[in-house]
Amino acid sequence: MRYTHPNYCYTGRPGGTGLREILSRGLKFLLLVALLMWAGPAWAQEANREVEEGRALFDEKCVVCHTNGGGDHIGPDLAGVVDRRSREWLARFITVPDQVLAEGDPLATELLKKYNGMPMPNLGLSSDDAEDIIQYLAAPPAAAGAAAPPAAREVQPAPEMLFAQSMILYIFLGITLVIVVVFGIVGLSTYEQTDVDVSKAFQLRRVLFTIGLILVASVAIATLPQAPYAKEGTKADRIIYVAARQYEFVFSEEPIVTVEDISRSRRITSLELFGGELVEFRVTSLDVTHGFGIYGPERQLLAQTQAMPGYVNRLLVRMERTGPFLVLCLEYCAGGHHLMEAHFTVDDEEPVASHSTQAPLIAR
Amino acid sequence: MHTTPATTYPGTIGAADAAAPSRDLAVPETQSTIYAWMLTTAALFVILALLGVYMRLVQGGALAGLESWFYPMMTLHGIGMAGLWFVASMACACEALRKHVLASSAVAVFALAGTVVGVVLLLVSVFMGRFAAGWYFLYPLPLQGEWPAWSAVTFLLALTVLGVTWLVWSLDILRAVAVKYSLSHALGWHYLRGETEPAVPPAVIIVTVSMIVNVVALVAAVVVLVLFYLELLTGRPSDALLMKNLTFLFGHTLVNLAMYLAIAVVYDALPDYAGRPWKANKIVAISWNSVLLIVLLAYFHHLYMDFVQPATVQYIGQIASYAASLPAAVVTIFGALLLVYHAPMRWTLASVLFFLGLMGWAIGGIGAVIDSTIVANVRLHNTLWVPAHFHTYMLAGFGIIVGHFYHCGRLQAQGRAERTGYHTVLVTLLVASACGFLAMFYVGGAYSVPRRYSVYPIELAHGATYALWAAVFASVFLLTTVLCLIEVVGSWRKGATGGAEAWVGKSAVAGSLRPSTPNAAIGTSAVSRVDQ
Repeated sequence: MRYTHPNYCYTGRPGGTGLREILSRGLKFLLLVALLMWAGPAWAQEANREVEEGRALFDEKCVVCHTNGGGDHIGPDLAGVVDRRSREWLARFITVPDQVLAEGDPLATELLKKYNGMPMPNLGLSSDDAEDIIQYLAAPPAAAGAAAPPAAREVQPAPEMLFAQSMILYIFLGITLVIVVVFGIVGLSTYEQTDVDVSKAFQLRRVLFTIGLILVASVAIATLPQAPYAKEGTKADRIIYVAARQYEFVFSEEPIVTVEDISRSRRITSLELFGGELVEFRVTSLDVTHGFGIYGPERQLLAQTQAMPGYVNRLLVRMERTGPFLVLCLEYCAGGHHLMEAHFTVDDEEPVASHSTQAPLIAR
Repeated sequence: MHTTPATTYPGTIGAADAAAPSRDLAVPETQSTIYAWMLTTAALFVILALLGVYMRLVQGGALAGLESWFYPMMTLHGIGMAGLWFVASMACACEALRKHVLASSAVAVFALAGTVVGVVLLLVSVFMGRFAAGWYFLYPLPLQGEWPAWSAVTFLLALTVLGVTWLVWSLDILRAVAVKYSLSHALGWHYLRGETEPAVPPAVIIVTVSMIVNVVALVAAVVVLVLFYLELLTGRPSDALLMKNLTFLFGHTLVNLAMYLAIAVVYDALPDYAGRPWKANKIVAISWNSVLLIVLLAYFHHLYMDFVQPATVQYIGQIASYAASLPAAVVTIFGALLLVYHAPMRWTLASVLFFLGLMGWAIGGIGAVIDSTIVANVRLHNTLWVPAHFHTYMLAGFGIIVGHFYHCGRLQAQGRAERTGYHTVLVTLLVASACGFLAMFYVGGAYSVPRRYSVYPIELAHGATYALWAAVFASVFLLTTVLCLIEVVGSWRKGATGGAEAWVGKSAVAGSLRPSTPNAAIGTSAVSRVDQ
C-alpha cells in the first residue's frame, strides 16, 4: 500500500525505497548538515563583521545627525529605515546624497524640507561602507546595539534661582537702580537752574574715584583667588575624557584625539558619578570650538569650559549635588548646535574623604 | 546780566552761547555723506532689528517651520548690527569732527561705497549660501559648517572689503587730525604737562585714541583673514587659540570703539543743549589715554573659559575690564552729569537721547563688568546675560546716533517747531519697550538660558517664554524706532517755519537750537571757561 498525498510523497521511484538509497540519502543529508555547520558560523561571522563595521561607521559618520532608535535628531531616526526604503535608494543616498538631491529625487527633497532644509552632506563613503551601514541598520536592535529611546522628559517651569545667579542679578539690579536714580535726580535738577561750584564737584569726583578704586580692587582681590583655574597638586577622584564634535559629546575612559579613536576607545555610554567626587573632565574638540556647560539638577549652570580643537581644557568639578545633570554646548557650532547635549547622573554616596579641596569647583 | 565766577558752571539762560565750545571750521563738506549715512543706518537698522524679532519669535516657538533660517539670520543680525553701529558712530564722529578738522570727502564717499559693497557680499553669503558661522565666525567654524564653501569665501571676502575700507577711513581721519594737531596735542598729552594751550576739543582726543586703537584692531582682523585664506589655499590649519585671541582682539575692540565714538559725539553736542562747556583737561586726557591701553587688554575676558590660556592673562583680563570702567564712570559719566546738573538745559529729542544713551551705557557697562569677573563668568558665559549687556549699550549707542542725526537735522532746519508732546510719547515707549526687551535677556541669563539656541532644550523650556515676551517688546521698540526715524529724517527738511519750543524744564525761553559759533552769541554773559 502506498501512502499518497499531494503534498507528502516518500517515493521517488515506483517499487519502494531500497536500503542503499536510504543510506545514500542519509549520507548526503549528513554532508549537507556538516557543510551548514561549517559554513553557517562563517557566514554569520561575516554578517556580524559587517554589522560591527557598520556600527563603527555609523558612530563615526552618521551619529552626528541620526540615531538608530533614539528618536529624530537633526535628521530622522534610522531605526527600521531598511523596511521603509529600498536598499538601492539607501545605498545611493548614503554615498552620493548631493547628486540625489540635485536630481530632484522626490523622497530626498521631502526629507530636506522636513528636516529644516539641512541637506545630507556627502561624507565620501564608498559602496562597501554604505552596505555595512545598511547591514547595521537592518540588524535586530539587540545585535545592532540600538540606543533605547530616551526617557520622556517633561516641560518644567522655571526653577528657583541658584544663590550665585540670584546674587549676580540682584547686584546688577541694585546698581542699575542707583544709576537710574542719579540720572533722574540730575535730569530733574534742570527744572531749577543754578550755578554749580565746579571745584566742589571735582572734590566729589576725587572721592568717588577713590571709593571706586577701593571697591574695584577689593572685588578683584576677593574674587580672583576663586577663579576656576587649577591649583597645583589638586588630584581628581576620577578622570573623564570628553571629545566634542558636531553635534555630540563623547565620554570615554581613554583620551580621544581623532574621530577614529571613538570606536577604538572605551566609550562611556551611560555616565554615573557619585556625590562628593572630585571629577576632572578633560575636554577637547574633534572639529570646531564647542562649549561644555554642566547644568545641575536645578537646571542652571554650575561649571563650564570650552572644547577647542588641538587643546585639552581640564575642568575639575566637585559633585556636591545629586540627581540628573545636563551638559549643553555653550559655543555656537553650526546648525545642530541646539541639539548638542549629554546627560549624566550623580548618585547619592558618601563623599570621598581622601580629597578635601576648599573650593567646590576647581579646574585647570 | 549775570556773571558767574570762574569756578562755577553757569546755570543761567544765555550762558550757552558764551560757554559752548568754539567751532574752528564750519565746512559743509561732508553734509551729503552724513545724510546718506543717516538713510543707510535707518534702513539697515530696521531690517536687522526685524531679524532680531524673528529670532526671538523662533526661540519662543511662534514660527514653527521657519527655524531653519535661524542661524543664518543670527549671523546676519549680529555682524550687521555690530558693523552698522561702528560705521554709524564713525560717520557721526566725523561729522562732529568736521567743525575742527577736515577729513577727505572722497574717502568718506569711498567708506560709504565700500561698506555697501561689503554688505551686499554679506547678503549674498547669508541669503544665497545660508552661511551661518555667527558674527565672530570663530575659527574653524566657517570652514566646517553645513553651508557650501563658496558662501564661506564670500563671507570672508565681505569682511576683507569692509576691513580694508574701514582701515582706509580710519587712517584718513588720523591724517586729517595730524594736519591740524601734532600727535602729542591730539592725544592731549600737553594737558598732562600742565599746559592748557592749544585747547583741543575732547572729541578730537577721543577720536584720535579710537582711530589708533581701531588700526590695531583692524590689523588683527587682517591677520585672521589672511590665516583663513592660507588655510583655504594650502589646507594648512591654524592654531585655534591664536585665532580666537585675534578674533576677539578685533571684535571686542571694534564694538567698544563704536561706543567711544558715540561718546565723542555726546562730548561735542551735549554742551550745545546744556549751555555749558565740556572741555578737555588733564583728567579727560588721562582718562582717554588710559583707554588706549586698557581696551586692548580687556578682550581677554572673552577667553576666560579657555583654561589653556595662561592664568596670568586671564587675571589681566579681569583687572583691565574693571580698569576700563573707572575712567568711563568717573570722568565721562560724571562729567556729563555735572554738565547737565542744574543747567539751563534744552530738552529736545536729541538731548534726551544723548542723556538716556549715557545712562544705558552705564547700565550696560555694569552688566559687562559683572560678566568680566571670572567667578561670575563661569555662570554667565554664553548665556543670555551676554546679549543682555551688549544689547543694553548697543541700544544706548544707537540712541546717541539717532539723537545726533536729529541734532544735525535741526542744525539744517532751524526754526521748525519741535513736536514735544509727540516726542515725549515716543521716548516713553522707547524706554518702556527697551526695558522689557532687555529684562527678558537678563532674567534668561540669570537662569542660565544659553544664547544662540534656535530651540531651547526641554529642561530650559521657560526660555521660550522670555523669548516671546522679548519679541513683543522688541516689536514695540522697533515700531517706535521707525516713528522716531521718520521724525529724524523729517528734521532734515529745510524751510519749515515756526518757533522752537523747549521740551521740559523751565528753559523754554532758551529758544530754538542754535549752532554755537563764536559769533553767534546772543546772551552776553561773561562766563569764564572752567578748565579743571
